[in-house]
Amino acid sequence: MPEVSESYSLGQPVAISDIGIQLKKLWQEGEGAMTRASLINLAVYSEKPGSLEKNTELIAKITENHACRALVIGATRESKEDRIEAWVNAHCHVTRAGGKQICSEQISFLLQGPCVKWLPSIVFSHLDSDLPLYLWWQDDFPDDMDPQLWAWVDRLIFDSQTWKDFDKQMGLVETAEREAKQRIVLCDLNWTRLDKVRYALAQFFDHPASHHHFAEMENVTVDFAPGYKSTAILLIGWLASQLRWKTNQQHMNGSCRFVDSNNRKINIELEQKAGSPIGEVVLKSERVKFCVAPAKCGDLLEVSRSGEKEAALPQMMPAQSNDPVDLMTQELLRGGAHRIYLRAVSAVRNLL
Amino acid sequence: MNRAAEHSQTNPLREGLSTRAVPQPCSIVIFGATGDLTHRKLLPALYNLAADGELPPAVTVIGFARRPKNDEGFRKEMEQSVKEFSRQAVRDEIWNNFAQSLFYHQSDFADESGFKTLAQRLEKIDQEHGTRGNRLFYFAVGPDQFEPILKHLKAAGLNKAPEGSWARVIVEKPFGTDLDSARELNRVISNSFSEEQTYRIDHFLGKETAQNILVLRFANAIFEPLWNTRYIDHVQITAAETLGVEGRGGYYETAGALRDMVQNHLLQLLCLVAMEAPSDLRADSIRDEKVKVVRCLRRMTVDGVATDVVRAQYAEGAINGKPVPAYRREERVDPNSTVDTFVALRLNIDNWRWWDVPIYMRVGKRLPKSATEISVHFKKAPMVLFSKETNDANVLVIRIQPDEGISLRMQAKIPGTSFRIEPVKMDFHYGTTFGKASPEAYERLLLDAMSGDATLFARRDEVEQAWAFIDPIEKAWSAKKDAPELYFYPAGSWGPEQADELLARDGRAWRRL
Repeated sequence: MPEVSESYSLGQPVAISDIGIQLKKLWQEGEGAMTRASLINLAVYSEKPGSLEKNTELIAKITENHACRALVIGATRESKEDRIEAWVNAHCHVTRAGGKQICSEQISFLLQGPCVKWLPSIVFSHLDSDLPLYLWWQDDFPDDMDPQLWAWVDRLIFDSQTWKDFDKQMGLVETAEREAKQRIVLCDLNWTRLDKVRYALAQFFDHPASHHHFAEMENVTVDFAPGYKSTAILLIGWLASQLRWKTNQQHMNGSCRFVDSNNRKINIELEQKAGSPIGEVVLKSERVKFCVAPAKCGDLLEVSRSGEKEAALPQMMPAQSNDPVDLMTQELLRGGAHRIYLRAVSAVRNLL
Repeated sequence: MNRAAEHSQTNPLREGLSTRAVPQPCSIVIFGATGDLTHRKLLPALYNLAADGELPPAVTVIGFARRPKNDEGFRKEMEQSVKEFSRQAVRDEIWNNFAQSLFYHQSDFADESGFKTLAQRLEKIDQEHGTRGNRLFYFAVGPDQFEPILKHLKAAGLNKAPEGSWARVIVEKPFGTDLDSARELNRVISNSFSEEQTYRIDHFLGKETAQNILVLRFANAIFEPLWNTRYIDHVQITAAETLGVEGRGGYYETAGALRDMVQNHLLQLLCLVAMEAPSDLRADSIRDEKVKVVRCLRRMTVDGVATDVVRAQYAEGAINGKPVPAYRREERVDPNSTVDTFVALRLNIDNWRWWDVPIYMRVGKRLPKSATEISVHFKKAPMVLFSKETNDANVLVIRIQPDEGISLRMQAKIPGTSFRIEPVKMDFHYGTTFGKASPEAYERLLLDAMSGDATLFARRDEVEQAWAFIDPIEKAWSAKKDAPELYFYPAGSWGPEQADELLARDGRAWRRL
């Protein structure tokens, strides 16, 4: 039965063949005014121990803003014997107007042993019809991915920040994209992490009178937290691809060099510092310094431009939270293809 | 609406980040900065935009009003208002920053020197805050103040922007009280600002559901083939509110429901429902199609007003179980007032698409509930197979406020061995489907004005055509001889019974809200 107050339990255990019946029962037995809502099918896959419970908590929070049918899958390939368990539950939230509860269904699966290979059939048979399928893959992609799966996935969500071998993983993702019979949008949460910083940097150049700075760019410095070097490199990739810079000198001791279309050199400095995934970012043109830095309060960015004849007037803008729920919430709000991301990756592929 | 692409070409870093036109740095000068609109709507909207990171950093706000005050006093006053009326909680870090871009300029609207000093101040702000000579003048004052303000803006050279910059003016309704006064007002505005510089705000168009009408109609293939006289029986548009005049009796006495709501908000909604598909999403392409609808509205004759329009005024009654006074006993209202607080109309659009499809509109104060919606009533299916008694028509309802969404009523078989049919409702609620809260209408409209996107603002010809339709009704009502009767309805009811008869004589009834 959908619960009035949110809990993070997997819910009621159910035989795989009875999932449909049990979901129906869930609504028949519910009390009070409840509405089942679903905009997407969101499948979450992880092979980490304890992932089912952790992801149930994430889904409970994500569904506060994105009603969906969630399929949470925890898998263990190592086990020799097949074991499949399933649970059904609902996450209910009171609407902004109050009163009515909006509920999203969650079906959880624990797959152990060789049956993990049946993942596509398990996912496909429990999709909410006519709704797109978003697959959030939380681990590295295995070499032997079932191509059947890609034919059904509309958006593939992953976080390249966790990848140990970017090139190999990206290669697998690109193969999946090629194999897919329909369009797959690649959604990298490491890219989502950069949304607000990119927005803050972009706004400096909205006015045509600022455009000449593009041709006068000399230095870019990016501070990043330990473990987030790939995030910083993606940011550089974005600048390089959008401003048509090309790599000129390989990555050495945190620095590299690009050249613009006029063969003008742009020095890039990446520095590891404790703090936000992306710390201070400074773009320096001949006369003006454009700076975006995390504000002391943590969830805002302080943005300012300053120059010889120009005093800095800092302004506050929202910062991107690094919480997985916030990253997913942000990612799910977006539509369309991520062409800019692919261009950014391509610009710095050799640095990642 | 589709200027994002244009901007992304000029700023390559914008590509993929915004699907809307990018607002430009500017100084926003609010005339009537101590008024209700500034306190309740404008400053909270600007703060919310800043908090959401939608406002360019180089935006300043200059409050222009008569009362003596300094920048600091204005900031403190605005902080209180924003704390009270903002849709999101005020954060000190954001407010302290935002407040630094708020300024107060004390002057009388009739004092030319006050505008000269305003011009000097704006230049200084441009230099210090990077607002780049862009100016947005917001007229949060009554139309009687427009002329002196516009005259002095022009004299101070503020109606023209330096090369590469812009000057725009936003005016609030009422855009006149009849066709003549609207033309005069437009003439006064056009003496100082061109039509391209003029943004006439109608906050109904800033509402998410109003904008969604275009998406519903033109992004879904299933509706457009049915959207015509062949399949639609009639359309109803209702704007009901439980509130009375709420201390605005003085203004309402000069307006009434027809001028206050029908001439602008309801006709704008009708245009969105009835217009043809625009050739593209440019502001003028959409407004060209909207104005054609108003042009096609069949003008009312004196007899037509008597038969197709019902005007009424609320008498004492009760709202939510609490007694409320009659309109004539409200503050600053003439005890013998004949002003309409309720209007119901039957309209016809004389074009191929809408031929013989009546449009029923009703608007009123002190009605049982607050709701604005459009309902499209389709023709009944030929009931050769089922009982005629159960033959309800399909109805598509677009709820503008509150509980924004869309529902479709259809027939379904009741489970069982017999063939019993009942209407069921397919319902889409914005609040249920999308967790994200919609921005306030003023937020969207202010951003659009800063971006130079006039799509959601009324154009001169739209306003004048709307008055050309309304004027004969007002004239018939104010005739000394044989003026149609003013009816009364108890507060808390759905208007006078004559409003029900307006539909009943066509064999129809108002949709139950």
